[in-house]
Amino acid sequence: MLLARVEGNIVATRKHPSLDGWRLVICQPISADGQAEGAPQVAIDSHGAGMHQQVVISSDGAAARKAVGDEKSPVRWLVIGVVDEHEPGVRV
Amino acid sequence: MKLGTVIGRVTLAKTVKALEGGRFLIVSPFSREQFAAGLDAPTSMGTDPSLVVYDNIGGGVKQIIGYVEGREAAQPFEQPTPVDAINTALVDEMFYNPWKG
Repeated sequence: MLLARVEGNIVATRKHPSLDGWRLVICQPISADGQAEGAPQVAIDSHGAGMHQQVVISSDGAAARKAVGDEKSPVRWLVIGVVDEHEPGVRV
Repeated sequence: MKLGTVIGRVTLAKTVKALEGGRFLIVSPFSREQFAAGLDAPTSMGTDPSLVVYDNIGGGVKQIIGYVEGREAAQPFEQPTPVDAINTALVDEMFYNPWKG
């Protein structure tokens, strides 16, 4: 799982059928102090994460396949939650 | 998935059975700077080494694609298949607004 910040989304008409209807958000992995680390990942999102919100993304393919309901889906990254606060009391 | 620019294609004369009929694309992964520059960013901005991606949805040279790396890439195949990157989306539009805080 990675801490990331939502920095955009993509639109693709031609895609694997299991991704139909899913939001594809661009997630920039970040360090604990909010600095970008590495290249952005595109994850599926069912939580409606907003622009520049911090999220946690998971690379668990099995869970992502279950989410899209297709055992033959190549999907891997999904947004598993939207971050409220980092440590008690520090809201983001 | 990650985004990348298709910079070429590979044709295989002889392949393992499961990969017959598939196309293979050479893809240059998007760097963070390329995201900011948009879909028309020059591929020379990519810093990561390029890779070969299995393709069954029809990506072409100069297109931007979304590809999945890892064990999940073999998931769409019936039988165990030696593939670790697969094209899953042809990107039409990208909205990107980097955090400057």
